[in-house]
Amino acid sequence: MTRRIRIGIDTGGTFTDVVAFDEGSGELVTTKTPSTPRNPADGFMAGIDKVLGLLGLPEGDGDAISAVSHGTTVATNQLLEGKVDALGYITTEGYEAMLEIARQSVPDGYGNSYFWVKPPRIVPRDLVKGVGGRLDFTGAEVRPFDEDGARAVARWFKAQGITTLGVCFLHAYANPAHEERMRAVLAEVHPDAVVSLSSEVLREYREYERAMTTLVDAAVKPRLSAYVTNIKGRLAAYAGDRRVPFYVMKSNGGVLSADEVVHQPITTVLSGPAAGALGAALIAQVAGFDRVLTSDGGGTSTDVSVVIDGVPTLTTEGSVGAYPSKIPMIDVVTVGAGGGSIAWLSPEGTLKVGPQSAGADPGPLCYAKGGTEVTITDAHVVLGRIPPHLLGGEIPLDVDAARAGVETLAGKLGLGPEACATGVLEISAWNQANALRQVTVKRGLDVRDFTLTTFGGSGSLLLCRLMDILAIPTVLVPPNPGNVSAFGLLTVDVKNDYVQTHVSLAERLDAGVVSAAYDVLTRQAADALAVEGFAPEQHVFQRTADLRYFGQAFEVRVPVPEGDLDDAALEAAADAFHAEHRVLYGYDFSGDASQQVEWVNLRVSGIGPITRPEIRASEGLVTGAGAPSSTSGGEARPVCFDAGVGYVETPVVQRDSLAPGASVPGPVIVEEFGSTVPIHPGFEVRVDEYLNLIVTRSEG
Amino acid sequence: MSRRAPTQFPFGPLTADAGASADPVLVEIVQGSLASVEMEVETAIARTSRSPMIRDAHDFRAGIHDRLLRKLTGRSYSALVHPVARDFPIDGMREGDVFFHNDVYRSEGGIGHLPDLCVTVPVFSAANGEHRVVAFVQAFGHHDDIGGAVPGSMPSHATSVFEEGLMVPPIRLWDAGVPNKAALSIMTRNSRMPESLAADLDAECSACLMGARRLGELFDRYGVETVESCFDAIIDRTTTTYRREILAKIPVGSWVWEDYAEHDGVDEPMLHTQRITLTRTAADDPDGERLILDFDGTGPQAKGPINHCGDYSDGVFLKKWLAPILRNLADTPERMAELDVNEGVVPLIEMRFPEPGTLLTPVFPAPTNARTFVILRLLGVLAGVVAKAVDGRMPADQETIRYTGVYGEDLDGRSYLMREVLGGGSGGRYYADGEDTIHVVPDSRNLPTEFTEARFPFRVESLGLAMDSGGAGEYRGGLGYEKHIRMLKDAHFMSIADRSILACWGVRGGLAGQPFQVTIDPGGPAEREVDALADDEPVAAGEVIRIRTTGGGGWGDPLVRDPSLVVRDVVWRKVSPDAALTAYGVVLTGSLDDDSLGYDADATAAERAGRPAASEAFFDRGPGYARLADGEPHAAVDVLG
Repeated sequence: MTRRIRIGIDTGGTFTDVVAFDEGSGELVTTKTPSTPRNPADGFMAGIDKVLGLLGLPEGDGDAISAVSHGTTVATNQLLEGKVDALGYITTEGYEAMLEIARQSVPDGYGNSYFWVKPPRIVPRDLVKGVGGRLDFTGAEVRPFDEDGARAVARWFKAQGITTLGVCFLHAYANPAHEERMRAVLAEVHPDAVVSLSSEVLREYREYERAMTTLVDAAVKPRLSAYVTNIKGRLAAYAGDRRVPFYVMKSNGGVLSADEVVHQPITTVLSGPAAGALGAALIAQVAGFDRVLTSDGGGTSTDVSVVIDGVPTLTTEGSVGAYPSKIPMIDVVTVGAGGGSIAWLSPEGTLKVGPQSAGADPGPLCYAKGGTEVTITDAHVVLGRIPPHLLGGEIPLDVDAARAGVETLAGKLGLGPEACATGVLEISAWNQANALRQVTVKRGLDVRDFTLTTFGGSGSLLLCRLMDILAIPTVLVPPNPGNVSAFGLLTVDVKNDYVQTHVSLAERLDAGVVSAAYDVLTRQAADALAVEGFAPEQHVFQRTADLRYFGQAFEVRVPVPEGDLDDAALEAAADAFHAEHRVLYGYDFSGDASQQVEWVNLRVSGIGPITRPEIRASEGLVTGAGAPSSTSGGEARPVCFDAGVGYVETPVVQRDSLAPGASVPGPVIVEEFGSTVPIHPGFEVRVDEYLNLIVTRSEG
Repeated sequence: MSRRAPTQFPFGPLTADAGASADPVLVEIVQGSLASVEMEVETAIARTSRSPMIRDAHDFRAGIHDRLLRKLTGRSYSALVHPVARDFPIDGMREGDVFFHNDVYRSEGGIGHLPDLCVTVPVFSAANGEHRVVAFVQAFGHHDDIGGAVPGSMPSHATSVFEEGLMVPPIRLWDAGVPNKAALSIMTRNSRMPESLAADLDAECSACLMGARRLGELFDRYGVETVESCFDAIIDRTTTTYRREILAKIPVGSWVWEDYAEHDGVDEPMLHTQRITLTRTAADDPDGERLILDFDGTGPQAKGPINHCGDYSDGVFLKKWLAPILRNLADTPERMAELDVNEGVVPLIEMRFPEPGTLLTPVFPAPTNARTFVILRLLGVLAGVVAKAVDGRMPADQETIRYTGVYGEDLDGRSYLMREVLGGGSGGRYYADGEDTIHVVPDSRNLPTEFTEARFPFRVESLGLAMDSGGAGEYRGGLGYEKHIRMLKDAHFMSIADRSILACWGVRGGLAGQPFQVTIDPGGPAEREVDALADDEPVAAGEVIRIRTTGGGGWGDPLVRDPSLVVRDVVWRKVSPDAALTAYGVVLTGSLDDDSLGYDADATAAERAGRPAASEAFFDRGPGYARLADGEPHAAVDVLG
């Protein structure tokens, strides 16, 4: 019988991480291959080849692949690098300067308005054209759509050779008719144009944000389509000209088939961090932790997020580089603290760490690839906290080069080399700690109530310092911490979000109208799930609404019950709003007749559940604590945890030698392929039944 | 010295070597933690406050101060701890105390108008065995109503502070964790929005108490002496940095310049002079290398509410309020953005104030609610006087705060007030054009049409840029808004704005921008202009209100601007074809309509060569100046030398 293998594949800047799951045996294997930025599909296919080999399948044998889920940064990188060109924008007459005006905000400090230089707009003013026609906020037509004007605009863009266009008309969230007419005119006059309509990308009020989201969607569409189509073709060829279900990770924590994702490319932006947060969330939840902070440390940055009861918190206030996006995404805060983050002296003479990064190329001094500045990795290797090689010995590190760099920096600061190196790491730990505080404060939460889950190549190196600084009681390090994002891809359901702005005071809300609106959204979601191959009985729908107090400019999202809605159901949603408002903001107006509740957005998420790999508890749990035999008489090296104490001979344990139930007191270094976990004196680590490392303070 | 220094406040470092021996790693950790606590406090206030001015317009700030009352955080301005320390001995403070004040005349100059509600919380640490005050966390926010003659507590025709709302001198609002209910009920009773006032206060108190706990942990972890040594280092490094990167750019010497508010809501429009004589002393000056800002020559106290109480505590608030302007002297815009403004700037600035009774030294109970006409203008006066010293390498003028709105009853008969702060263009810089439609308050936002049309009975027919509003220059001023609002029901229009006669000035050959202007029914039978200080201008259903906000001043001679940029500006609808010729001397070719617009290089060179020599004035204030200055084209101080 043919095996059925599901593959998660996460393409990062340096490495492509691959996880394969044998649906029959439950076996899970992981690997890494170098990424191939010039043609990411090469690294993608190499990763598939490699992981199938690890499962004992012959090279090139794609018959066993049952599905592939993919996390990609193609769209994200295009935006971060600002490679947006030949993009046109069509808007309502009288609003052609919308992108110049933006929201009138100057970022950062007071007084910056005098010297701030606005970054270039996503579409220059000369590629913005207005078309007549006007709707009001209910969607009713105030002035008819100007067909002749629309044709002239379409002809103009055709003549200019602009083939990627975003369309955003005022109040199109309430009525897409004018935008759809615009698309029909473009199809007729300028059939080569790739078009994104705001009423399809984001059916939500606030014209500037909706326009930006639509334009970002249009901007990444050509490149993402080409990329996804290319991989789809190569996968099919690999699998014997068989159509392999191919899913792409979305930033909302769901996946979508490659066929469909090309129609909503913006939903893939920031999908990489989303997969990591989801994978870590599932692992931590199975291990018994329901309030979790995830910290994913890579080469250039660390991504942190909040997960409660297995559900990552979402935001619609995200942005990629300079571009805001109102698409729901997992709320990830990125800190410029990764292995390659550079330690430097500011003009004030202060020691700073990051956000500039040496990346993987030239990389840290110890990579000996031309790096000239001390990085976090250099500090770790000088202190002995990481082994003098990478990836289980494949790549040796130049410790002497790192030490020389640290000594030079230390000399400028008047510090000893150990004090300098520990100082660099201490500053980095505080930068991460401050980010973790801010993601929790933003939601009115206390960081001390959370378990921290650290993963990624550099995510676990400073976990003991984070525990100390933040007074966090427990840290969990999942198995294969370098592959949590790829693992996360295997845990993700198919998910589509639909929104309809429907502004109405609660007292005037007609339950029948709301029900009908939800029915429309649910039908859209069901149709999409059917296209994805889900039978009706598998469909899951989550209904929510965004409510606010009349006069507020921001909304709070609450669940809305299933089924036909009556006044009682609407009342229940309003009650949920009062309660959630109190949680988020510390007050509510429940029972205060002078404060009216207003409904703003109706939302439906359509979910097609997939079979998740089961995280199985290990049999043969070792009972009784104590250091496993491998540390006695095993490997050891001098490690400096505290500059005042200096180097102490510290046992080094291979993680795979630690059986479930084993417990080791610090100081100890736990090593595995692609990741290292230094346990400082005063802490201890044990292995739970799922092979997670659980780090706590030592008793007494 | 200031005439008003009722209390001698301590100054100087906390440690014997002023932080010179502080651990460089800890300095960065402490500085990062201060920034983080400041942000956490601001995040908490944004989450839980209620006034739209705080929640949406972001008109609130947090600050952290040491026990010598020195401001440690550097991203934004803050009020002062001095009035609290003046009235409540620090030794008598207890954990859980929360102090409150909004009384302008008892604020040592830290609070400019009554709606700014200020909360101060002492930070305690038990490190080193004794439990004592080691720092302060403070926040203030612009609440929507604190009583007084008009809703919103900003009466543009007020002649006394008693018309502006409830004054609360420094009081102990929470006593060791117990709120003073009597004081709270008096305050809420005096507001037209009592629930949101209570919520705003609660938000500020809770957030500052949280910040104080967080900061206390830092002292507990590292010890008071170590942390204070870092505070000294943080402040000292700012002083050193400003000396090296800012003061070094200004030659030793003395310069004078002035600018004006144009009206005060009571008297007819006139020049309300604000003057700075800037003296930069030599490195070997017996009293130290510093900038002396002498405000002598500033005009008399206004009858209306545009006064600002500047002359308290040696102007320590104004020093930190004005210092951000000096950052424009740093080498690059990126570096300017990096420079913190903390107490470290104070030793480098000396202020000298005129006798009581001027715009900057008003006598109680002079009204102050529209003091932005003075303190925002002073930013520009300082930029201008420094520009004279450094051959113009400072930004031209900007004006980005004014209030416009409509009110009445909506289509359902429910009363409403729509009030917004529309920004304007910033001035040209020697390295870049000014930016369009920005706002000086960081993170403040305008109101989306799709929001306002759903809420209020009007249609925003267009929201664009006011063509030609940016002052011409080698680097053009940024553009202001042009907003067309069509009322669907009879309503009233209100406006509190300066710079409707006088314009944002251009410098070093750059021209002034266009001033603020409101026209009702433009091009229609009932076309009329509205005064910039208007409380209740009637507008009929169907009429359009056209609001044009200020463009920034231009920088440098427009006749040397790259003609291709002028062509681009015409294509971008920022400059009209007429202005391309008249203001920039660019002879256009082709047409906008068929995308063939270009310029004739030879004709442009000839046109430019034939222009008369530029004015002798270093500043251009626009035609409005002559109207208020008896026909004079420019002020005496506008000429160099």
